[in-house]
Amino acid sequence: MLLQKLCMRTLHTTRQLCVSGAGVGAGMQKSALAALRKKTGYTFANCKKALELHNNDVQQAEKWLHEQAQSLGWSKATKVADRVTTQGLVGVLVSGNRGAMVELNCETDFVARNDTFKRFVDHVSRIVLHYTDLTEFDGDLWKLGFDSDALKNLATPQGGNLGDHLALLIGAMGENASIRRALCFKVNNDLRLAGYAHPAPTNVGTIQNITQVGKYGAIVAFRSKQEFDDVEFQKSICQQIVGMKPLKVGEYEKDKPAENKDDETCLIHQEYLLDADKTMGEMLQEQQIQVVDYHRFECGEKTQRELAEIMQNQQRQSSN
Amino acid sequence: MCFLTLREYTKKFPIEVIWQRCARYVQSARNMSQSLAAAVCRTGVALRCSRRAMSTARLLRNGARPRIVCSTTALNKNWQQTSLLTASTGNLDQYVRSYANEKKVFERTKPHCNVGTIGHVDHGKTTLTAAITKVLADKKLAESKKYNEIDNAPEEKARGITINVAHVEYQTESRHYGHTDCPGHADYIKNMITGTAQMDGAILVVAATDGAMPQTREHMLLAKQIGIDHIVVFINKVDAADQEMVDLVEMEIRELLTEMGYDGDKIPVVKGSALCALEDKSPEIGSEAILKLLKEVDSFIPTPVRELDKPFLLPVENVYSIPGRGTVVTGRLERGVVKKGMECEFVGYNKVLKSTVTGVEMFHQILEEAQAGDQLGALVRGVKRDDIKRGMVMCKPGSVKALDQLEAQVYILSKDEGGRTKPFMSFIQLQMFSRTWDCAVQVQIPDKEMVMPGEDTKLVLRLIRPMVLEQGQRFTLRDGNLTLGTGVVTKVMPPLSESQRNELTEGKKAREKKVADKK
Repeated sequence: MLLQKLCMRTLHTTRQLCVSGAGVGAGMQKSALAALRKKTGYTFANCKKALELHNNDVQQAEKWLHEQAQSLGWSKATKVADRVTTQGLVGVLVSGNRGAMVELNCETDFVARNDTFKRFVDHVSRIVLHYTDLTEFDGDLWKLGFDSDALKNLATPQGGNLGDHLALLIGAMGENASIRRALCFKVNNDLRLAGYAHPAPTNVGTIQNITQVGKYGAIVAFRSKQEFDDVEFQKSICQQIVGMKPLKVGEYEKDKPAENKDDETCLIHQEYLLDADKTMGEMLQEQQIQVVDYHRFECGEKTQRELAEIMQNQQRQSSN
Repeated sequence: MCFLTLREYTKKFPIEVIWQRCARYVQSARNMSQSLAAAVCRTGVALRCSRRAMSTARLLRNGARPRIVCSTTALNKNWQQTSLLTASTGNLDQYVRSYANEKKVFERTKPHCNVGTIGHVDHGKTTLTAAITKVLADKKLAESKKYNEIDNAPEEKARGITINVAHVEYQTESRHYGHTDCPGHADYIKNMITGTAQMDGAILVVAATDGAMPQTREHMLLAKQIGIDHIVVFINKVDAADQEMVDLVEMEIRELLTEMGYDGDKIPVVKGSALCALEDKSPEIGSEAILKLLKEVDSFIPTPVRELDKPFLLPVENVYSIPGRGTVVTGRLERGVVKKGMECEFVGYNKVLKSTVTGVEMFHQILEEAQAGDQLGALVRGVKRDDIKRGMVMCKPGSVKALDQLEAQVYILSKDEGGRTKPFMSFIQLQMFSRTWDCAVQVQIPDKEMVMPGEDTKLVLRLIRPMVLEQGQRFTLRDGNLTLGTGVVTKVMPPLSESQRNELTEGKKAREKKVADKK
């Protein structure tokens, strides 16, 4: 009887031991895969492959994953290259006398809402902005447009070109993406820059040195007689451009207001958005501001005309 | 049943057409039994037509054989026409049905439920939808749809708003489903706003090979935003992953669901492969997994309460005073059931009036019980005509409240859809239309500075006077003669304080002055 009990107990214990042993083993492996996945964010399939290749060595696997990410990104990028990208974001970055505006496209608006994508927009904006530093310029206003091919070949301070970085993003997001166009501004002397992206969160307070992202973006270059620091008004000029889509600034003497004020395409004759009793021109004169130039990006808009114009101007400038 | 089909049939075709078709039938039947017909004809000619009409009609009702009908009715076309229509039998029914079948009649035998798929682009949302229809088509519960039939979501115009959406229908043993597969975030939002297929629950698709992608979080946020409380998870592509990966993906998804405010531990997770189901391979992860998923959907996503079962509500369209009877309100009963003798309440325009329904009529006939959807007139006791106005609602006492502040999700029409060209800012005054009322509202944009046409946005609306509004109620915003946008109430907010109410009416100058004073 006692013997039997003892036997039973040993049996039980061994079984328990066995079970727990197996559990620990499985747990170890599981946590390796889980930890790697959590740490790197790469897909489960890739994490698994990395661990298999490196005998479950998490650190080596991670290193391998990072090395592989570039080529994996490229293979993914080529796989999805023919998919249409209609959604996306416009990023606007203004820093002192320099400004950059970029448009990135992706397949679905879910991606456009994602933080990773927003960070990438910021990244591209900063690289484009950085490009302005490479140019010596002391005239009033200098601007440069990029098309998607030029952007892909743009070298980055982190090494590699923007195309590589884009492939990394595509690998991480699993969706096709493209950098469609970009524009950079540099102003000197008494000219200033202001930027705005819509929809923007309210009460950011400043528009300097922050990449604003949205579906629409505008950068304005203006001349003001005195020190002018009313951020709200600067923003409202940009809002006007984003919202009312003027075709040109217009001149006070030459351009006559349109008969139907809803069809007005001159910025200065347009109804001021924040106060319908005034026109934009009246507001600008009140504040002693002269808008010299502006650009407006709308995410997914079809026209490439603006960009073509800038490119032409550039060619003319260089030939001079 | 037969009567109904015939009635629909007569609605669809002019009487001549029906007559022609019936005559053709008569012809064939006569050929079958010429001798008998001839005999009846010979003996029956002398009889008065009316007598025969009556007797034959009785025969018809008793299920008489069609040849008797033919022979006698051939004598008098006019009579036959009426007799066929009034006393159609099962025999005729069969014949008529085959024509009525040109468009299948929807049979409402099961409760209806709207679901949809959400999930990352390549994780197999559309493949899963296709697989569900295929597996159910094998059981004759759905029509099989191919991948590209669903994928190329047609642009649909619902209430003037363009939505890219694919609707698929299928049924399980217990329920009938409308399934939505929208490609983008904006489409889901527009769908919620227009209410074309408000989702009662969602199926979240995650690929086992990838796990939760960065966007999966966005999808869950969306589900929360459009008010989906019930999610069933389908882990797809398990044929390309091993058990360990599948388990980890499940863990990860449950964690994420909990983080987003769902009950991650209780949400059913089904693992399978939509592709296998579609290609008829390994049924244990293919078709069986799909059936298991549907079972979970059946049990986990609750059937929405039918309008008929809710407390009654009638938006007042007109009020009449009928001498000798009293006050009558008319309108379309939006939900519930109204009977004579029920207590009711009129709410709106700062008023709440209690009364009793003393009679319900439809088309000048007394109605025992009016049901949701009926256009009716209700006689009410003890209220004067001038007390009630169009725009008030008559409802079960205490079931609704008048509101003057609310949060809504609104889609602003783009120019192509007939909206305005200019963006708008906070403090714009608009006219809000809902049910039978309209009211001036002031708009506040909480998380943006301006709203462009073609965008969807959250808005806080302040009404100039309290009107009956509930969560989920749809409305239209207009500016002059232009429809600006349409939306749905997402949150009820506390009533305006006295000072807030005063702010509603003050002009821009006063507002600016206040801001300046504060500075």
